[in-house]
Amino acid sequence: MMADEATRRVFPTEPASHLRPRSRSVKSLVSTPESSFWRTFRSSTLHPSYLHLPITSLSFSPNSSLLAAASSTSVRVFSSLSLSEYDPDFDPTLFATLPLPDLAYSPSFRCDGALIAAGCENGAVRVFDLPNDKPPKTLRRLNAHSCASRVVGFPLLDHKLRLFSAGDDALFVQWDLPTETPLFSVPGAHRDYIRAGSPSPVSPDVFVTGSYDHTVKIWDARVDSGASSVLSINHGHPVESVLFLPSGGLVATAGGNTIKIWDVIAGGKPVYSVETHNKTVTALTLAKVRDDTRLLSVSIDGYLKSFDFSRFKITHSMRYPAPLLSVAFSPTGTIRVVGTNNGAMYMGIKKKKDEFEDQVGSDDFAWSVPLPEKPTSRKNIRYFKRGQSEKPSEGDFIIKRPEKVKLKEHDRLLRKFLHKDALVSVLKTQQTTSIMAVLEELVARRKLIKCISNLDNDELKLLLSFISKKATQPWCARFLMDLAKWVLEIRAEDIRSGGPEMAVHVRNLRSMVAHEIQVQRSLQEIQGMISPLLVIAGK
Amino acid sequence: MIVGGQSLVTSPPVFSHDGKKLLVCTGCTVSVFSTTTGMLITELEGHTERLTSIVVVPVAGTVGTKFSNYCWTASLDGMIFYWDFSTPDLLKKINVQLPVHSFVIPNILSASLGRSDKASQNLYAFISVEDANKGVENGKHLHGSIQIYDLTNSTRAGGVLAETHKPETLAVSKSGEFVGIKKKQQLNIWRVPNKNLKSVNMKKLKLHHTRTLSCLAFHPTKCIVAAGDVSGRILIWRGFGKMRHSQDGGGKMKIDMGDRPGVRGEDDADSCSTWHWHSSEIKFLMFSSDEAYLFSGAKEGVIVVWQLDTGNKTYKPNIGSPLMYFTDSPDPSLSCVSCEDNQIHLLRMPSMDIIKSISGIKPPLILSELQGDRSRVIIGCDRSIGFVALPTKDYRIQFFSLLDGTDISHLQVIERNYDPVDETTVFISLVEVSDDGSMMSTVEEKLPEMGIGGLISLKFWIRGSHTGQYTLSTIIYEPHNNAGVSDMAFCPGRSMAVSTSYCGNFKVWVNNSSFIHSGDEIQEKGGWRCQSVSSYKEIPMTAAAFSGDGSVLAVAAETKITLWDPLNNVLVAIIGDSLGPIRRLAFVGSSEYIMSFSSGTKADLVVWNISNLSTHWSYKLLVEDICCTRSETRVAVLALLSSSDKSISTGKDGMVLVFDVENPIPVSTWFVKKAKGGRLSFINNKLGEATDGKLLLAYINGEHNYVLFDPSNVKEQEDLIPKSARRPQSYAHDENVSHGYASIYGELPSFDLTKARSSDSIPFVLSERPWETIFSGSSHALPPLSKLCSPFLESLLQKAEKQTVLSQ
Repeated sequence: MMADEATRRVFPTEPASHLRPRSRSVKSLVSTPESSFWRTFRSSTLHPSYLHLPITSLSFSPNSSLLAAASSTSVRVFSSLSLSEYDPDFDPTLFATLPLPDLAYSPSFRCDGALIAAGCENGAVRVFDLPNDKPPKTLRRLNAHSCASRVVGFPLLDHKLRLFSAGDDALFVQWDLPTETPLFSVPGAHRDYIRAGSPSPVSPDVFVTGSYDHTVKIWDARVDSGASSVLSINHGHPVESVLFLPSGGLVATAGGNTIKIWDVIAGGKPVYSVETHNKTVTALTLAKVRDDTRLLSVSIDGYLKSFDFSRFKITHSMRYPAPLLSVAFSPTGTIRVVGTNNGAMYMGIKKKKDEFEDQVGSDDFAWSVPLPEKPTSRKNIRYFKRGQSEKPSEGDFIIKRPEKVKLKEHDRLLRKFLHKDALVSVLKTQQTTSIMAVLEELVARRKLIKCISNLDNDELKLLLSFISKKATQPWCARFLMDLAKWVLEIRAEDIRSGGPEMAVHVRNLRSMVAHEIQVQRSLQEIQGMISPLLVIAGK
Repeated sequence: MIVGGQSLVTSPPVFSHDGKKLLVCTGCTVSVFSTTTGMLITELEGHTERLTSIVVVPVAGTVGTKFSNYCWTASLDGMIFYWDFSTPDLLKKINVQLPVHSFVIPNILSASLGRSDKASQNLYAFISVEDANKGVENGKHLHGSIQIYDLTNSTRAGGVLAETHKPETLAVSKSGEFVGIKKKQQLNIWRVPNKNLKSVNMKKLKLHHTRTLSCLAFHPTKCIVAAGDVSGRILIWRGFGKMRHSQDGGGKMKIDMGDRPGVRGEDDADSCSTWHWHSSEIKFLMFSSDEAYLFSGAKEGVIVVWQLDTGNKTYKPNIGSPLMYFTDSPDPSLSCVSCEDNQIHLLRMPSMDIIKSISGIKPPLILSELQGDRSRVIIGCDRSIGFVALPTKDYRIQFFSLLDGTDISHLQVIERNYDPVDETTVFISLVEVSDDGSMMSTVEEKLPEMGIGGLISLKFWIRGSHTGQYTLSTIIYEPHNNAGVSDMAFCPGRSMAVSTSYCGNFKVWVNNSSFIHSGDEIQEKGGWRCQSVSSYKEIPMTAAAFSGDGSVLAVAAETKITLWDPLNNVLVAIIGDSLGPIRRLAFVGSSEYIMSFSSGTKADLVVWNISNLSTHWSYKLLVEDICCTRSETRVAVLALLSSSDKSISTGKDGMVLVFDVENPIPVSTWFVKKAKGGRLSFINNKLGEATDGKLLLAYINGEHNYVLFDPSNVKEQEDLIPKSARRPQSYAHDENVSHGYASIYGELPSFDLTKARSSDSIPFVLSERPWETIFSGSSHALPPLSKLCSPFLESLLQKAEKQTVLSQ
C-alpha cells in the first residue's frame, strides 16, 4: 500500500559474489587504523656498504635523529636531521663512519646523543663523541672482554657517565666512563654467550641480559651479590634479544621463534607468549604508533611484526625479501629501519600525517583559548551553511537523506542501453570484477553476442587481451572460456586480418590454454594418486 | 468463504465526481477505493460476468446532488446497471442481451443537468457489443458492433452504427460531442447531435493511418484527436471533421487538397502530425485537463508528457511496470495510472508523484521459451498466517495475505534493475516458505545466452520482526553445479532444508547460526551450510518432503520414492514405481501414508503406505497440486480435467477433490476454472467467527484469483468463484480533506441561496451564476485574486438586486 516509488532503488551492476575473488586480497583490503598508520610510511632501500655484510644492529639517537648501523668493521652513522617528514626526497647522508678494529657490534647512543659506544669482535668497547662539524674521535677504550663484546648500552635514564657491556665471554660489566674502570663486573654471568641486554627505563642500575644458555637474568648494580643475579628466567630457547617494556615491570624476550613477555615485579611470571614468526626472532624494539607503543619484532623469516602488548595482539605484519637481523624505530615515530643479512637496510619514512594524528592535534588545542567565532553576516557564505555540519546528539531522531547511488561510467551507459559502449568503457578500466559484472548483465539482457559482433578492431583487442589474461582464473573460467570460444568463432575473420597485435593476443590465448591443459593433466595425475589412498583410508 | 485476487486492471478505473473515490472493475464486482487512504470502501455486487466499463454520472451542479454518487456499469453478461455507489444500492437494471465490451454516454453531462425536468432528454449510450452469431452469418467474422441504446426507455435506438471484427473500445470526448473507435488502420468518429439521436443521422468520419491503431483520445474542447498505433507512434489530427460535420446532411464540400500536412487521402482534417518515442504499442493516450498536454504510455513503464503545441516531451519514469490505463479525475491534482502488475498508482498531478498505490495480487510470471517442467514457477505459502509469497516480474517477492486480501510487503530478491521491456532472463523459479513461516528459501535462475553465463543460486531468508519481512541469511551459488533445483522442503521444527536437483543428487542444508538482535535488525553469524549430499543411482531427483516430525525425508527419484534419515544421511527404504516422474510429494499428516503425483502422459496420483512400502490406492488423474494437513488425514487434490470431459464447455477445467486418505472415494468435489498452474493449501483460520482451529482450504487458480473456504461446510458442486466477496477493509475516513482551490485558499463562504430557492418559481440559468464559473479551471491558470474579486462581488450584488426585484 505504500507508495513504493521511494523504495525503488537503483542497483549498480555488481558481480555475484561468487565471482569476486575471495581470500587474502579481500582480507588485506580490510583496513584497520593500525594498517593505515603503517601504510603512511614510504619505503626505500639503502645499502650502507657495497659489501653484502649483515647489518647486525641498528640504533637511533634518542634526541638528534642520528641512526647508527653496525655492519662489518664499522659503525656508520647517518644523519637523519634531513629526515623531516615533509621532505619527500630524503636521501640519508652518511654522517660519519666510526672505525673499529674488528667486526662492530651494538652501537648505542647516550641519552643526550652526544656520545656513541660500540662493541667489537675482539672484545674492545669504544666510546666516540659525535661533534656536529668534526669527524668523530675515540674518547675511551674499555678493555675487559676477552671475546666479542656483543652487547653495549648506555643507561636510558639521565646517567651520563655509565655504560654496560656484555659479551661472548659471559662477562657482564658496568663501566664508569671517565675512569675507564668497571664499577660492577660479573664474570660468568651466564653459562653461554650473552647476546642480548637492555637497560631498565626506570632505574639506571638495573639491567637485563639474555644468553644462549636459554636464561634471562636481571642485574642490579646496587646489589653486590657476586655472580648471582636478582632474577633469572628461563626462556626455553637461546635468547636473541631482550627488552624492558616502558613500564619497567615487563620484559620482552625473544629466542627461537617465540617472543615472551615476563612480569619481573611478580618474580618472573610469564605473561604472554607469541609464536607468530616462522624462524628465529632476531631483534626487538619499541615503536610509537600514534599515542600507543608497540613492540616490533623482526625475524629470519623476513617478517616485521607489530605487537600490541597491552592487548596481546599482533596488529600488523610486513614482509621483506631478506632475512632480517635488526630493527630500529626513531624516537620521533617517523622512521622505521630494518637491517638484513645481505647488507641492505629497508627504511620507511612517514610521508604524511595521518588523519588520526590530526584529530589528536586538534584535541591538544581544545584546552587552549578558543578563537572567537567570526560573526556570520548574510553576505558570508557561512551564514547560509550554518548548522549544516551539525552532528546529531544522542536521542535525536535522524532522518536520513536517501543515499544517492554513484553510478559508474558503464552503469550510466547501460542505463542508456548503450551496451557496446558500456562494455568498452569497462574493459578500459581493467577491473576484472567490474568487467565480469558488465558481461553478466549483458548476458541477462541478451546483448552480449551482438556486442561482440559489433566491436571494432581496437575494442576487440581490448576484449581479447582481457580474455587472454583472465580466462583461466578459476572464478571466471566457466564464463570466459565459453566467451572466448564465441569471440573466436564470431570474429574469426577480423582476428585473422587484424594485424600483428591481434595475433599476439591470440597467441597468448593459445599458450594459456595449453598451460591450462597441462595444469589440468597434472591435477588429474594427482587425483589419480590420491584416490587409491582415499579408498584405502576409507576401508 | 473468502474470494479475492481479482485483477484491478482489466478495464480502466473511474474517479467519482469529487475525486475522492475510485471505482475499479474487479471481476464481477465494482470495488470502490478511497483515494486518500487507498483502502477498499465498498463493493457493488450484482453482475454475473466480468465488468467492462463504468460511467460515473457527473455532478449536476446543484447543491442537492452534491453528495450523490451514481454510476452506470456494463458487463459481459449483457446487463447495464445503474447504482448509487455511496450506499451502495442497485437502482436500475437494463438488459442489453449481448455482452457489452465498452460503454459510453456522450450526453451524460447535458442529460444529467436537465434531470430536474425529466422529460427534457433521454439518456443515450453508445455500446460496443459482441455478437457472435451475427458474425458467422455474414461470413466476414464481424463479431463486434457499435450500437446506440436509449437508457431512459431501455430500448435500442436505431440500428447498428458500425461493425468491427472484434468488439472495440469506445472513446468519447469530454464535451460529449464526439464518439470514436479505432478500427484496424483507421479511426471512425461520430459527432453526436444534441437531439434526435438516431443512427441514421449520425455522420461517420474516417481518418486513415498505415499501421494498426491501438488507442485514441479526444481533446477536451478542440477538434483534435490523438491516436496511438502498435509501433509506438502517436498521431495527432487537428481540425478533423470540419467539412463533414459542419455540412449537416448537405453535399460534400470540396476539400482543399493542398496545405494539409500529414493528412492521408481525402481524410477530413487540417493537419496530422506524428510523434514517436515509444518503442511498442501505445496503451493509453489522454489529454490533460488544462488542454495543453498529452499523456501517453506503453510497455516501457514511462509516462510521456507531450506539450501539445510544440511536441516537447517530459518523462515520468520509475513506475516499474508496463502501463495499461491513465485516468484523470475531476480534481485536477489527482489522476491514476494502472499497471500490468495489478497495481493502480494514484498520482499527484503536476509533479506525477505516486501518492498511493492500490495493489492487488501479482499476476503469474509468464516465462516464454522455457521448456517443459522446468518452467513452472512455484509460489510459496505460509500456513500459519495465511499469506502467499509470489515471485513477481521485477525480481521481488510479493507477500499477499489471503485472509485480508491485501498486499503485505515486497521483498527484493534479485538486486537488479527491472526494465519492463526486457524479456525475462532472470527470474525467481521457486519460493518455499517453512511451515511456521520463519524461514524461506528462493531459487533464482539466470538463463544463459548462447550457453554463456547461466547461473542458479539459492537464497535462504529468515523472518524479521514483522510478517512478510525477511532478511537474507545465506546465498549459495550453483547449489547443484549447473543443474536446476527441482524442489525444496523445510524440515518442520528444525532449521534444516533439502534441495533436490535434476542432476541426480539432493543436498541437506542446515543452519547453525546464532542471531544477534540489535534493535530492529537481526544480524546473523554463520548461516546455511550443506550437511550432506546424496544421490540414488544418479537419477534426477524431482521432489522432496519431510514427514511431520522431521524424522523421515522422502525424495522422489523420478518414479521411485526414496526414504532417508536426514540426520545421518542413510537410505532407509525405497518405494517403487509410479507411472511417470513424480512432481511432488507430501506426507499425509502424521499417518503412515505419503502421497505423490506425476505428470506427463502417464499422469497419476498415488497414496503409498510407508509401513509396508506398497501402494495404498491410486488414480489416473492429471494432478496439478496436492496438499495435506499436518494433523488430520485429509488431503486436497487439484486435478485438471482432460479436454474430453464435458464440463470444459462451462469454462471449468479443473476440480478440487478432498479425500480422507484411508478411503479412495473423495469426501467432496468442486469444479473450478483455470486450474492450470493453480495451487492448494490448507491455512489456519484466523477469522473472528471461527476460531475453533478449523483449517481453511485455499485454492489459487492459474490467474491468481483465489478462494478460501472451509471444506467441511461448503456444499459440493458449488461454484467456487462466487459473486459474494470480502468485507471492506475500512470505511472511508478523511473524506472531508479539501482539494484544488479549497486546499489553497480555504473553503469559499457558502452563500445562502436557499432563500432564492425557496422562492423557487424562477429557474436559474447556469450561466448567470458567475461565482461558479469564475473559479473553474486549474488554480495556476486563474487570473490573480485581485482581478477576480471585483467581478465576483459585483455578481453577488447583482444577484441581490435581482432577488429583491423578484421578491417584490
